[in-house]
Amino acid sequence: MRADAAPGAQRSRWRGVAVWGAGVLALVFLVAPFVTLAAFTRWDHLALAPGDLGAVGVSLLYSLIALPLVIALGTPLAWWLARSTFRGKGLIDALVLLPLLTPPLALGLLLTSLYGPYSPVGAVFERFGVMLTNSAPAFLLAQVYGAMPYYVISARAAFEGVPRELEQIALTLGKSPWQVFLRVTLPLARLGLSAGLALAWVRALGEFGIVLIVAYYPQGMPVKLWVNLQDIGLSAVYPLLWLFLLVALPLPLWLGLRARRRLAF
Amino acid sequence: MRVDLQLRYPIVLAVQFELRGFSVLLGRSGEGKSTLLKALAGLLPAQGGPYAGQAPQHRPVGYLPQGYALFPHLTAWQNVAFALPGRQARRARACALLETLGVSELASRYPQTLSGGQQQRVALARALARQPQLLLLDEPTAALDPATREDVFAELIAQVRLLGLPALAVTHDPHLALMADWMAVMVARRIVQQGTPRQVLAAPAGMAVARLLGIRNRLRGVVVDDHHVAVDGVLLAASAAAGLARGQPVGVLLRAEDIALLPAAADSGTNPADPLWTLAAVREEGLATRVITAAPLRLEALLPRDRTDAIALHADQSVRLRIDPRHVQLCALDPATDPE
Repeated sequence: MRADAAPGAQRSRWRGVAVWGAGVLALVFLVAPFVTLAAFTRWDHLALAPGDLGAVGVSLLYSLIALPLVIALGTPLAWWLARSTFRGKGLIDALVLLPLLTPPLALGLLLTSLYGPYSPVGAVFERFGVMLTNSAPAFLLAQVYGAMPYYVISARAAFEGVPRELEQIALTLGKSPWQVFLRVTLPLARLGLSAGLALAWVRALGEFGIVLIVAYYPQGMPVKLWVNLQDIGLSAVYPLLWLFLLVALPLPLWLGLRARRRLAF
Repeated sequence: MRVDLQLRYPIVLAVQFELRGFSVLLGRSGEGKSTLLKALAGLLPAQGGPYAGQAPQHRPVGYLPQGYALFPHLTAWQNVAFALPGRQARRARACALLETLGVSELASRYPQTLSGGQQQRVALARALARQPQLLLLDEPTAALDPATREDVFAELIAQVRLLGLPALAVTHDPHLALMADWMAVMVARRIVQQGTPRQVLAAPAGMAVARLLGIRNRLRGVVVDDHHVAVDGVLLAASAAAGLARGQPVGVLLRAEDIALLPAAADSGTNPADPLWTLAAVREEGLATRVITAAPLRLEALLPRDRTDAIALHADQSVRLRIDPRHVQLCALDPATDPE
């Protein structure tokens, strides 16, 4: 630094260092537990417990089914919340926040009360041969319910970020509202939608609280981690956790990179 | 073509006016001009024509909003091709349109990298792609560089005339309105005057119209005789007073550019009865000088430099002004349109 540097320049340099330092601190805070994981893993005895691979399969399969369901159900709601104005919209906003606010364990209990075999709704499903506790549909139900609010909130913000004027222009250029949605709204909202999808994927895969109550079976990865801890101990947790991270991370990473790369037009 | 439109939302608006060639709707900001264009494009619910009841995607209009609203995720040619059907010939047709507007070299650039004028050309090409029967332009020069906006606008008008398309541009800029074939003036959400720019300039329909046209001196007076009006007891010669009833209240309009400074010493051509004007303020405005008189009336004059170079004007100075009786315009005083 030059000796005659203006005090303003020096101040702004210190401010830059402070922001950088705080950022590094936050990153260290977030990563530290995984450094511990790497340190505590016994790499020479890395072995999966019986049933671990099955749990990975269950989690991946049902998450891949849950994600389209989240998109199909959540996109119209997000769009509606982003584009409509009416009295009492604040109330709808609060209703969408409720599933995010409620502890997952409590959500599991609520879902069981609603869809369980002793409830009228559950009885209707059961008449059509769909059991909504400890079954594949129950597992899906838990994943979709756990993941959808995150997707809806992100997608809503993404839609709100698309200038309405561009959609209107597209209409005046002879496109139907549906074509406008596909050709203008979706491409312009893709960064937020990708973030929403990544969040939904992570939530669906990692959902524990709701799944624990609603669908202990079929056992997915998070529940299997719990079972391993109870039955075998920490040594059986780490290998499965590594595997879990390995299969869960690629999709959100890919979504993020793809959206960002296409953003650099 | 005739516009006859009633809106209830977001503002209450009812307007009727003609469109002839390149037409301009002149009005202050907040009059609802943009709202009117959106309603014409079908983007806001309205009653009346043209295109009553048609969905926006079915109206044969090309709409250019303020800032042009090019799709940021598409290149220039893709923007133009947006409205074109099919897959094969789209690019060729889009590039041909860009060529017509003289911007074919921008085809693969993204909108963010284009200047305001270039964006306008691309947006015009995009609007033309769907072969509209009417162009709607919202403040077409608002996003342009002040140095080039008049040129760009003149070119835009030339371009649109060449295409033989009727167009409606809304603006608050009188200079732009004067370049059009036809203009309508909006005051207090009503159309108060329409005609060719020459007609409107020659006889503004009221003080508010005069203000929109950029006429700086707008006074209230009464007709004294066939050649004079009186403003606050000061007699002004006005050719336009001929034939008007004596004692009739009128608006007296005088452009700042039309007031000339008479050499103080030279009495040639000066009527000794002409009043001496006391200057309240003298302001340099680029190469010209703007002076504001305090007495006998408050007038604003914009003096070209060939008149002021030799004289050092200052406040409290007394000068003689020449006001050509033919340049003193008279207009009706209409309480509904003249709130001032």
